[in-house]
Amino acid sequence: MTASPANASPTAASTTAAISAEGLTKRYGQTLALDDLDLTVEAGEVYGYLGPNGAGKTTTIRLLLGIHKPTAGRAELLGTDAWRDPVRAHRRVAYVAGEPYLWPAMTGAETLEFLARVHGGVDTAYRDELVQRFGLDTKKKVRTLSKGNRQKVQLIAALATRADLLIMDEPTSGLDPLMEMAFRECVTEAKDRGQTVFLSSHILSEVEAVCDRVGILRAGKLVDQGSLAELRHLSTHTIEVTFDGPAPELPPLPGVQVAETGPSVLRFEIAGRDGPVITALAGHQVTSLVSREPSLEEIFLRHYDGHVSR
Amino acid sequence: MSAVSQDARPLSRQSPRAARGPASAVAARVLRGGRVLTATFGYLFAVYSFIQPVGYRGTYPAAADRLAFARDFGGNTGLRLFYGEPHGLLTVAGYSAWRVGGTLAIAAAAFGLVATAQALRGEEDAGRTELVLAGIISRRTAYWSAMAAIGVAALVLWAAEFAGFVAGRLPAAGSAYLALATVSVIPVFAGLGAVASQLAPSRRVALELGGGAVALFLLLRAVADTASGAGWLRWATPLGWAEELRPFTGARPAVLLLPAVASVLLLGTAARLAARRDLGSGLLPARGSAEPRLALLSSPAAQSLRSQRGSLLAWTGCFAVFMFILGLVSGGVSPADIPKNAARQLGKLGTGSIATPSGYLSFVFFLVMLAVSLFACAQVGTARREEAGQQLETLLALPVSRVRWLGGRLLIAAGGIVLISLTSGLLTWAGAVSGGAGITLPQALEAGANCLPVAALFLGLTALAYAVTPRASVAIGYGIVTVTFLWQAVGALLGAPGWLVDLTPFAHVGLVPAQPFRAADAAVMAGLGLAAALAALAAFRRRDLLSA
Repeated sequence: MTASPANASPTAASTTAAISAEGLTKRYGQTLALDDLDLTVEAGEVYGYLGPNGAGKTTTIRLLLGIHKPTAGRAELLGTDAWRDPVRAHRRVAYVAGEPYLWPAMTGAETLEFLARVHGGVDTAYRDELVQRFGLDTKKKVRTLSKGNRQKVQLIAALATRADLLIMDEPTSGLDPLMEMAFRECVTEAKDRGQTVFLSSHILSEVEAVCDRVGILRAGKLVDQGSLAELRHLSTHTIEVTFDGPAPELPPLPGVQVAETGPSVLRFEIAGRDGPVITALAGHQVTSLVSREPSLEEIFLRHYDGHVSR
Repeated sequence: MSAVSQDARPLSRQSPRAARGPASAVAARVLRGGRVLTATFGYLFAVYSFIQPVGYRGTYPAAADRLAFARDFGGNTGLRLFYGEPHGLLTVAGYSAWRVGGTLAIAAAAFGLVATAQALRGEEDAGRTELVLAGIISRRTAYWSAMAAIGVAALVLWAAEFAGFVAGRLPAAGSAYLALATVSVIPVFAGLGAVASQLAPSRRVALELGGGAVALFLLLRAVADTASGAGWLRWATPLGWAEELRPFTGARPAVLLLPAVASVLLLGTAARLAARRDLGSGLLPARGSAEPRLALLSSPAAQSLRSQRGSLLAWTGCFAVFMFILGLVSGGVSPADIPKNAARQLGKLGTGSIATPSGYLSFVFFLVMLAVSLFACAQVGTARREEAGQQLETLLALPVSRVRWLGGRLLIAAGGIVLISLTSGLLTWAGAVSGGAGITLPQALEAGANCLPVAALFLGLTALAYAVTPRASVAIGYGIVTVTFLWQAVGALLGAPGWLVDLTPFAHVGLVPAQPFRAADAAVMAGLGLAAALAALAAFRRRDLLSA
């Protein structure tokens, strides 16, 4: 839960960090999928890794896990380079893959048992509890399960390991809203138990609900990082003012954008302090004034405004 | 909203691909998906049909030689098992029809089955059929488009076989008819594969059902061709129809009606069945749920063995039955007094001195060698499928090293090769003893074990191809095995220098039990196989996982 500042030196923390990456770069042929990523996730943190499709989220995870080889740079999970020594690195890690590809001919129970034995021991009582909570019919063969139900199998298998580090690639894709709530509870429990969670997602409400810190990835580059409060602070916020009568003409203010959103409503997008706006409003007939912090969605969209395709 | 859909329509009309219509798009997709399979079989058909007339003409130039050959081999029951009943061994054309027709009919059956199961069921298992059927195409049209693509592939094989014969200087009209007789098997087994694809819940089960049918029809033909008075059974098997077409030896084109009617019935039945079932399921009752069975779940290798053990046992069982029958038949092979010169010439045909029981068994085990080599490629194929299906990513994110995973797969493959080879040896002995052929158990087991070094070499090479270039690896493996197997015969016939012929591993095996086991060559092959496997393990550690 130590929300380290965005500009913390990665080397200083690398001995204790759950995840540390330095200059991590990956090229697939001509495509630069990940560009010089520096990333530190402290032990006990829930880290939200945001980005649209194709931004490099899954690439990052595959590099972290040593499933793909970095073109440059290095990555460590709990102090171990997973490319060099995957077995050691993965003992304390559990992974939920982006797509729930499992073995179609095995039942849910057989799959859970297989993954547990290969991982080397799980909390079976907790696993049974998770099966109940997610409402999974473990007698069904994987081939007959929907995508959401296959996703549950993966989630239960990962959570039941009680691994120190959970790496999840869009874990709630395919889950219904009830199951998504169950998932959020599980993440919160994991955090309370001291586990670290690395959550790649593009579902902003989910990240906003469970994550301590957020990184925003765009076209293979980390463009913003910090706690939600920090991101909000650095970002613009909104004041919406309703007037008694038509909205007045106000003089231009530095760092403030004004838009008329109704016949007598003005919206101020403010990059810095509120003072100048309040001063400008003095003497006008204001009936209501609503100040709103930006949602994560707004922060996110601002980073992608006009950049969605490179 | 309406403006959007109005905009979209002229756009799709403008697209040249869309202009061809969804039916031809599906057909083109199926054709493209099966191009490696079609090319491999095309190569086999062309080369095999070229070798036979050229070889025969070279080996038996004079009428007297041919008469002697016909006397000795015409009644050889062991050979009839593979090639069917000969009708005219005195002409190049008649001999070619006998040698090529019977064997390639089996290959044609396998092609029809595999191509159809992949086009129908493989696509469906991968979830792509759902995508296609969500478009503006009916089930019926999609089905017939896929089958039309297989029809085009069958035409390619016909052309390959025809070209082989013509290059071997057989008359064009007769060659066209002989190739037609072979290829007429394809639609029948494509129809069988199509029906199996409706019944089975997955591609694998469809292949197993269809494979069972091929084995059954082959057995029927074997009985018809070898047991006296059972010739009428030939009419009960599509593989026999190809024989009854009698290319070059009193052609009976009316028999073509049989495969034509059978294909139409089978393909039509499959189309009707396809309309009655839900996508992604089979018509045979399949259990969607089961009590957990927790055996063989302790490691990736154990789990792989668990998922394969059914088909592994089925294949071993098939080998056991066939080898027992071949052993039984070998007792009846007459140790004819063939002149030494003719025996040596026969060796050039790639069959060794097959007129003695042990010579015949050597020939049979030469084919077992080919079979286990192909099995080795198939095993690497299952490993690749686990990677392509991304299950491997889940496994390798667990504390499992790549070396352990691939090493386990290779050990299972090696175990399967040993199991099949030694079972073949054991059952051949049992059959031979029952049939009165004088082969001892150690000899039979030695013949089985003699298959191992070659298979180990191909397993290693295919594994190395997998580690370096995963997507092409299985095609490379099958390609190397097929090319090198035929290379010995082709090279000898074309008069290629010895060192060039010696490039193929199949030139370095002793034909046990007729010839002594060649220990040094075997050691080299096994050693190369092991080295390639170790190189594969090292190389596999260095690459990214690649999905389909």
